[in-house]
Amino acid sequence: MSDKRLGSGGARLVDDQQQQQQQQQSSSSGGEQLGTSMELFQALSLFRRKKYEQCCQICSELLRKSPLDQAVWLLKMRALTLQVYVDDIEAEEQGLAETLLDNDTIASMPRPGTSLRQPGTALPGQAMRPRTQTGRPVTGVLRPATQSAMDGSQSLEQVLRTPRTGAAGRPITASGARSIRLGTASMLTEPGGPFIQLSRLNVSKYASQPSIAKALFEYIYHHENDPRYALDLAVQATQVCQYKDWWWKLQLGKCYYMLGLTRDAEQQFRSALRDSKNIETVLRLVRVYIRLDQPLAALELCKKSLDYFPNDVSILCEMARVFEGLNNVTMSVKYYKIIAQEDASNTEAIASIGLHHFYNDQPEIAVRYYRRLLQMGVHNAELFNNLALCCFYAQQYDHTISCFERALSLATEEALADVWYNISHVAICAGDWIMALQCLRLSIHYDSKHAPALNNLGALEMKNQNVAEARVYFHAAASIASFAYEPHFNSALLAYNTGDLQTSYIAVQKAMDAYPEHADSKSLLKKLQRYFTYM
Amino acid sequence: MSEAKDKSSFNIDVVLPQQGLLYSEHTFDYILCKPKLMPLKSVTLEKLEKMQKEAYEKLKEMQEQDQVTGVH
Repeated sequence: MSDKRLGSGGARLVDDQQQQQQQQQSSSSGGEQLGTSMELFQALSLFRRKKYEQCCQICSELLRKSPLDQAVWLLKMRALTLQVYVDDIEAEEQGLAETLLDNDTIASMPRPGTSLRQPGTALPGQAMRPRTQTGRPVTGVLRPATQSAMDGSQSLEQVLRTPRTGAAGRPITASGARSIRLGTASMLTEPGGPFIQLSRLNVSKYASQPSIAKALFEYIYHHENDPRYALDLAVQATQVCQYKDWWWKLQLGKCYYMLGLTRDAEQQFRSALRDSKNIETVLRLVRVYIRLDQPLAALELCKKSLDYFPNDVSILCEMARVFEGLNNVTMSVKYYKIIAQEDASNTEAIASIGLHHFYNDQPEIAVRYYRRLLQMGVHNAELFNNLALCCFYAQQYDHTISCFERALSLATEEALADVWYNISHVAICAGDWIMALQCLRLSIHYDSKHAPALNNLGALEMKNQNVAEARVYFHAAASIASFAYEPHFNSALLAYNTGDLQTSYIAVQKAMDAYPEHADSKSLLKKLQRYFTYM
Repeated sequence: MSEAKDKSSFNIDVVLPQQGLLYSEHTFDYILCKPKLMPLKSVTLEKLEKMQKEAYEKLKEMQEQDQVTGVH
């Protein structure tokens, strides 16, 4: 009798012998068996209808009656997994620890255009895009890649100061953030303790049962979020199938990647790709290259796999993102347009193209893209805010106010700061200074680190001749967002006008670092240099 | 069409003022940051946030229950 108790919930697994015994016992009481099988049928039906919580409840009941029922055990495991399942390719985040302390990157001083960390060559128009709090140019959709790559100009201090908000920021470590997030979820679903106690699990036994092993792996990986146990299971299972199953290689790679063993992950993914061409494997290998900061290798891989999967949306999407990360907006938009042709309801593609048109001085085209998103059923503050801005700059003033009102009513606190900031632009364009000041103050109230709002507040205070206040605002904005050129230039100009040439010189140089092509900064610098040579 | 033909028949002379000085002075002005389009949230992110929120609310409920039972 090798009866393994799996959890305090009483779930046990049985050997074949035991199962037979149980069947004999249960056949004696026919009515009870019928009731049980009806309940099992109901649980299966609930599972199919994606009502996982109710399914779990029925399974728990059944397991209390007969703790050795393998079918129910498996069903509950699947239900719990799918309850917390998220597409972890899309949900991947790079945490602070990974960004700052990683030693995966190959070149510390990469050539321009070969690194995501120092994209360098900014194209015309790109400098016009505002940046998120981490200093990346804003993108159409908030997604992992927009948050991961760190700008070369950013200091350690800057990174540490960036809070974790929807406006882009990062958790301390990726695995930490995920395991806390999903770990709490898994604890909560089981008030009586965990469903399966991993430390008591006989891994080698389940590794040899392929039908259970895969479900068990997914449970450990997604629900328990424990890559070490998952790796243990995957290693033994891949040995059982004599290293022939690509699925297990893919899972091994996933575990290695989660544990930060990027090179091992790459090996596993490559091996899996040799066995079977699969889109998921390709995407994960691309992520490995992005982690290693080798965007060109990632692009190469994407191009090769497009031969096997022509016009596949997820691969094309990955390419568009890499190009966007390299600040190559034209190529990125080209790929997003291909995606939109393939899949006319791809939110990311539509939003990215819309954003591109807006910052390329074509708001009336951007309106059409964002309206399409609205038609598709996207209904949130971000979309209404974008629609309002596009309508305003496309001179459809009637829609602007109602869109902003909707955005305000739907917005969370993080989003409110940006919405009020954008409303202040409408007020400025309408010439209503008082309203603009109020909007900006509201924006700062919701997010005290909103650098653009501080900068604009400074510029408005200058209109009112409040030099001292304006100076404070410019300095605050410049210290929060050292990657933006506006506050640096403004404080340089203020210092220049008040005769503080040395401060002005220092500030204008910072502005030039942030945006080397800025014409006003150039001519101010030239003037200052002329002054200094006279002295 | 007739207008186009008429236009091509004569040229307008460029008039350059011979007297007076032409000033062109560039004045600096304080610059505003651009309006910010907000990035939309992807489906996965929305699902994650929803899960997080639900988990948080459940946790809060449980804590409140614990407190209530603790008092009694």
